[in-house]
Amino acid sequence: MIWKKWGFQDMRDMIVEINNLKKNYGSKTVLNGVSLHVKRGEIIGYIGPNGAGKSTTVKIMLGIESDYSGEVKLFGHDISDGSIEYKRKIGYVPEIAEVYDNLTGHEYLTFIGELYGLDSDLAEYKAKRLMELFGIGEVYHSRIVSYSKGMRQKLLIISSLLHNPELLFFDEPINGLDANSVMVFKEIMTQLSAQGKTIFYSSHIMDVVEKISSRIILLHEGKIAADGPFEELKRENKDGTLEQIFTQLTGFSEHKELGSRFVSVVREM
Amino acid sequence: MKDFRTLKLLDRLEKVFTSFDIDYKSMRKILQVKLTMDGRRIPTIFSQNAPKKDKETSNQYIKSLWIYVLFGLFMIPFLFIGDSYLFQMSLFYGIFTFFVMTSMISDFSSVLLDIRDRNILFPKPVNRRTISTAKMVHIMIYLFFLTIALVGIPLIAGLVKNGLIFFLVSVMNILLIDIFVVGLTALIYLSILLFFDGEKLKDIINYVQIFLSLAIMIGYQLLARSFVIIDLTISFEPQWWQVFIFPMWYGAIMDMIMNGDFQPIYLFFSALGVIFPLLSLWLYIKFNPAFEQNLQKLTYQGKAKEIKRSKLGQLLLTLICRTHEERTFFRFAGFMMKNERDFKLKVYPSLGFSVVIPFIFIMNDFNTDFDQISTSNSYLSIYFSLIIIPTTMMLLKFSGKYKGSWIYRVAPITQLRPMFSGTIKAFIFKLYLPVYLLLCVLFLALFGVKVLPDLIVVFINSCLYAVICFMILKKSLPFSESFEQVNQNNGALVFGLMLIAGLFAGLHFISTLFSYGIYLYLVISIVTLWMLWKKGFDITWEQVIH
Repeated sequence: MIWKKWGFQDMRDMIVEINNLKKNYGSKTVLNGVSLHVKRGEIIGYIGPNGAGKSTTVKIMLGIESDYSGEVKLFGHDISDGSIEYKRKIGYVPEIAEVYDNLTGHEYLTFIGELYGLDSDLAEYKAKRLMELFGIGEVYHSRIVSYSKGMRQKLLIISSLLHNPELLFFDEPINGLDANSVMVFKEIMTQLSAQGKTIFYSSHIMDVVEKISSRIILLHEGKIAADGPFEELKRENKDGTLEQIFTQLTGFSEHKELGSRFVSVVREM
Repeated sequence: MKDFRTLKLLDRLEKVFTSFDIDYKSMRKILQVKLTMDGRRIPTIFSQNAPKKDKETSNQYIKSLWIYVLFGLFMIPFLFIGDSYLFQMSLFYGIFTFFVMTSMISDFSSVLLDIRDRNILFPKPVNRRTISTAKMVHIMIYLFFLTIALVGIPLIAGLVKNGLIFFLVSVMNILLIDIFVVGLTALIYLSILLFFDGEKLKDIINYVQIFLSLAIMIGYQLLARSFVIIDLTISFEPQWWQVFIFPMWYGAIMDMIMNGDFQPIYLFFSALGVIFPLLSLWLYIKFNPAFEQNLQKLTYQGKAKEIKRSKLGQLLLTLICRTHEERTFFRFAGFMMKNERDFKLKVYPSLGFSVVIPFIFIMNDFNTDFDQISTSNSYLSIYFSLIIIPTTMMLLKFSGKYKGSWIYRVAPITQLRPMFSGTIKAFIFKLYLPVYLLLCVLFLALFGVKVLPDLIVVFINSCLYAVICFMILKKSLPFSESFEQVNQNNGALVFGLMLIAGLFAGLHFISTLFSYGIYLYLVISIVTLWMLWKKGFDITWEQVIH
């Protein structure tokens, strides 16, 4: 990683700084004092149980959710100052792939590219080329409605990268991709990070997170329960896999019992 | 879940179904679930203010049948006027076929082309025959209601006037037509699916729906006047080419039985009228597996044609939209308006209507003396075509895919101005302009070149009107809300906005009273447009986020 090679921490290389972030939906607390700092080139595995607040954190950083307390700085600028220029440097793959799918791949991607300020010819060229390289070139002019789940996901990934962003938020990005495409995608991530792009990666597939992340942040009940490289987490928790660390840190130990109770109801006839 | 009266009625036929190796219990369950789902599908206009409590019981499709009852009433005169069964009844059956066929395509397509059956029911231990019969019966139930609504009253009227035999023959004929229409629709779909992909089929269905809505809109206007136009007393001899007009087959059956006139051509027509429905039904059953197989095509699409951008289009675009952002949204809105079927279904009929309505008013004025037209100022009726503007401006914020609008929040959009101005320009140039130009050609032909300045004023006023509508209407990001949010209250608002169009027409009329008044009006319009265009789109993010 570049920042490791340089061996010093420059403030310019601090891409994400979140201090004591809190967010409520009505009386329900979603984020309860989250603080984290991410440097250029890191791949953050951002994990946690359902409803832990992962997506909310990401949405706050993207400016989709406002009305939080605490400080959120991206690229050294507080995002609450009203300027949205920082969004130019961000790419986002949401967990639920809602797109204007009555458009064709060509129409949608060109639109997205242009939204981020790309010239329309360049957007068109890049969209076409990237779709070809990702193996979905033949549906470039077809409506997105007719895409398979994997094709849609690839389209979303491409749409997040068209404008060559500095910071990427991937929420379950490999949903529906086949094994070969997952390999390609992992390679893309590694290369992007080597180029100094910073990646926030949320997923429930623990072994993928374990392998690709340079650092893992585990969110539990609106707080950070663990933060560090996988090796470090392993040392602290004396458990083999990330999955085991995950269940241990989130205090979940009933899976055996729940499973057997479930099966016993299944067997009732 | 509610137990439907229809199903209880169906229970009496249980034996029949069982004898065809159909698992009646499963079929009944499937139908019950489908009817329940149909009951919950609420048409968009009711969704906002509908009382929640009777959601479960009311089936909106059944409620919408009153429209067909109305059309049925208009069919009654065909039974009474004239004395040629062949001609009258052919016309009667023809109208009936038109409604059943179009309604079949627009309302039942979703049932016929439902591919969820495949994924949900096929893996379950229910035999195929039961599933496809359930589908058939589902359609038949609705077709039954539609038929009753449409011809119930006319048939009773016919019973009173022409007696029992007429009634029985009519019932039989109508049953045969129903069967033929179902079989024919399914076979048409099958052949489309064989050669094209699902998207094409959906487009075709979409256009049929648009055409149907337009036909109904114009039909309302014309029905009252139509009986003057159609001469029901003409003498009528059957011709060989009429063999292709299948309502004639049934007219022939009626004429033959009522008049006892067994000439060969009548016998031939009658035979066709009986054979073809049964044949189509048989073909449908035979090819049903192939049909189900091809339904799979609905989910994917073959390689599509590449669309090259034309140099001229690019040039025009840079002329119309000055900034990069505005062009972005112009293109986007253009694609959305072109591709979104929900949007097209709501807007295109009124688009077609706005071409027709000025002429309906012109015809009203001049149904006696056509020569006066070119010297009159009834070209002002072109202002009626402006009704398309408020309705469309209101719909621009909706989309069936509104959830895709997260992208607006994520993307670096500092100014909202280009978003709105680009979208509105796209509407004006891609939807309104073609209609306007068509009207211009027709009006120039009708009124002569002297109305050219007036027509130019109309276009400037249209643009002005669009901006005013935009400024008055509640602001929302384009294509960012669900169609279910369209509410009834808008009717009053649209009416209010139409008064503004009336104001434009009024001023236009006043301007024609003075010499050169029209040019003064033109200048005033252009200046106002220029000023409002500068001011009107200054919207902040706070105004659009609710």
